[in-house]
Amino acid sequence: MKFRMPTLSTMPAWFGVLFLEILLIIVMAITQPVFFSGSNLSNIIRSSAIPIVLGIGMTYTILTAGIDLSVGSVLAFSGILLSGMVDLMPRYFAVVATIALVTLIVGGVNGTLIGRLGLNSFVVTLGTLGIFRGISYLVTNGTTRRVDTGSLINKIGDGNVGPIPGPMLVVIVLAGISIYILKSTYFGRDIYAVGGNEFAAKLAGIYTGRVKMNAYVISAFCAAIAGIMQVGRLSSAAPTAGAGLELTVVAGVLLGGTRLSGGVGSIWGTVIGLLFLQTVSNSLTIQGVSSYWQQVVTGVLLGAAVLFDRIRLELSGRAKSKEKSNEV
Amino acid sequence: MNAGVEMRHISKRFDAVQALSNVSLDLRPGEVHTVAGENGSGKSTLLKILGGVIRPDKGEILVAGATKEFHSVRDAMRYGVTMVSQELSLIPNLGIAENIFIGHNQSRNKFGIDWKDTDRRALEILERLNISVDPRREVSTLPQHEQQLVEIARALSFNAKVLLLDEPTSSLAPNEVEALFKVVRQLREDGVAVVLITHRMSEMLEISDRFTVLRDGKFIDTSDRSGIDENWLIERMVINKPKASARRNYSAVGKRPVLEVKGLSDRAGAYRDISFEVREGEIVGLAGLAGAGRTELVETLSGVRQRKAGSVFINGRKAGNNSRTALASGIALVPDDRREKSTIHEMSVRDNLMLSQHKFELKHRSKRNEERIVGNWIDKFSIKASGADALIKSLSGGNQQKVVIARCLQTNPKILILDEATRGVDLGAKAEIYEILRKLADEGLSILLVSSEISEIFEISDRILVMHAGELSANLDRSKTSEAEVVAAATGVK
Repeated sequence: MKFRMPTLSTMPAWFGVLFLEILLIIVMAITQPVFFSGSNLSNIIRSSAIPIVLGIGMTYTILTAGIDLSVGSVLAFSGILLSGMVDLMPRYFAVVATIALVTLIVGGVNGTLIGRLGLNSFVVTLGTLGIFRGISYLVTNGTTRRVDTGSLINKIGDGNVGPIPGPMLVVIVLAGISIYILKSTYFGRDIYAVGGNEFAAKLAGIYTGRVKMNAYVISAFCAAIAGIMQVGRLSSAAPTAGAGLELTVVAGVLLGGTRLSGGVGSIWGTVIGLLFLQTVSNSLTIQGVSSYWQQVVTGVLLGAAVLFDRIRLELSGRAKSKEKSNEV
Repeated sequence: MNAGVEMRHISKRFDAVQALSNVSLDLRPGEVHTVAGENGSGKSTLLKILGGVIRPDKGEILVAGATKEFHSVRDAMRYGVTMVSQELSLIPNLGIAENIFIGHNQSRNKFGIDWKDTDRRALEILERLNISVDPRREVSTLPQHEQQLVEIARALSFNAKVLLLDEPTSSLAPNEVEALFKVVRQLREDGVAVVLITHRMSEMLEISDRFTVLRDGKFIDTSDRSGIDENWLIERMVINKPKASARRNYSAVGKRPVLEVKGLSDRAGAYRDISFEVREGEIVGLAGLAGAGRTELVETLSGVRQRKAGSVFINGRKAGNNSRTALASGIALVPDDRREKSTIHEMSVRDNLMLSQHKFELKHRSKRNEERIVGNWIDKFSIKASGADALIKSLSGGNQQKVVIARCLQTNPKILILDEATRGVDLGAKAEIYEILRKLADEGLSILLVSSEISEIFEISDRILVMHAGELSANLDRSKTSEAEVVAAATGVK
């Protein structure tokens, strides 16, 4: 195995974002000492964990050329389901049962409609976004419930496992498994194939409907876990939790180089992209910039990233490959 | 002083590839000028520069003797140069007249667009092209060759003086090619210069007045039609003439039918009541015009298209009717459109080649094992790739096609179906693919070859099936039939 220095054309799209992330950290560390304090860094990691967990699931769906807009609502739904469960059974069971139920219900609905029946993912998940948010309000009557989290749920969402923050551990486990799945298993290959060229994938014998369905089941699974993390973090379950978060998550995934048209992207990119968005928002807060501005900055960054990626491809012989493919 | 358009000393570089170096081309009004060359010779690049799609690094373009800047397609059109590309660029859900005049020269009245006048002007142009269709008809409802004529009509609406046709015939059936050439001749009468790229030797010899040959991005020669022949062109296009490969031995052709199709009908009605069989080690050609239902038929056999009735047997056992189970029963298809239907562009050669290998989904894919298998195919088919992990899109068309064929063979098929397997593949790779198919048949594999090129069908088939308008119209023994008989069956002549 030779190591080849990545060139402009072969390096993954998220290298650019990683570079910006490092640059931002250096600049902030020099200008704002408080930024580089242990508690602030740990804060960045903790606050980016939930978006990253959602982003991991989102990456699967976007890789298949779909999208899952329901993740923010499902996060709230999962938290509220958990808040009911903890009163009924030991917390270990409650956590497992919540994850299982949410995955089954949400993954089942999204997956069946999109994968089996071939409906448009944007429309379907826009629908389930409304449905699960609505159910969360209905069940709680719009109120926030306190949850006695105990040590397990607290660890998942906020505490430490040994020296490592619990949320970070969740991210490491989920990202690690997903990186392996996408890179080295038949299912991972099928995900990229379905997003890259669905007809070709089908002709090659891939059950494309099932692959898509599984992507939404995985996304629901990740959203269920994110819901539990949120409860652990706040010791409460609110029907408003995660409202609008799906857009931040999509932005981070795209920032990390995953292509909205499917077939190209990586978990590494998603992790870096969302970490970068959190670092930016944290830096702006420390600088005393209003949170309204943070949304503007997120939008600008997303536009800049897509533009940059386009320029990079143009510069690095996209013209050549296009020329070739047109001629043959 | 030249009244036409002239390109002088054009050079263009893409990264490491010098696509064109110092190429000149002059066009006279009222001529059909073929730019000939193998894939990668730079002919498409040359046309794109003239059409304003890409800009040259060096060189100049002269219109009626004066240097002009071609910055965009719009610039080119302003100087009377219009390109009809391989990919049709019409808007499928708009009408014919709307497509012709979209974005320019729209008839207006005080309420906005004057549709009556638009239709009238569209009809004028369509009449000039000898097509009689309702100008309000939606473009998506037209067959592909008529859509191409609409593109040409659009070009004429710009008062094109130079029309660039990049492989206009690659997806047309013989009768449609004839219709297109009739239009081209008409345009020549009208004083339009037509620049043509085609891979089919017989076509360029039939219609061209002049030839310019490119090889490896360099100008090789130019000549009038008179006094040159096929050999003149081949000598200049290729350095090593592909040797005519030997006819295969037929001893491997068995008696036993491997594939039996009985009374198959398409759910959407593209073909009806098709029955035939393919025997062990036999190469069966499936001829017919575009739209005869051949692609739909083979897509049904491979399980990606729904049938209404009928059954398919492999070695006497019922074959699966979705793509996975059909593959498992031994039916593998190399589809007609590589970009759209078979390769996954952003994936590596390895991923593309191993795409039909299915195991338990969460099973680990052994990289070393797969690389060994892919390496074997790369050697066996002399696939030119920088390695198993090179992106498939970095390969030339012929090599991509070899990867797709290898993908099919890796599933150990009982029958290999190829749909227009050599479309848009250069002469060298074409000969290699024929050689591969002959060898496979000699080893006992059954092959069904769909092709619109009669010469290809005759080159390698043992038996020839012909489809016409969704029905099987002939089943002929290659040694006892003639091209004329096949063409007659394909066009429905009794």
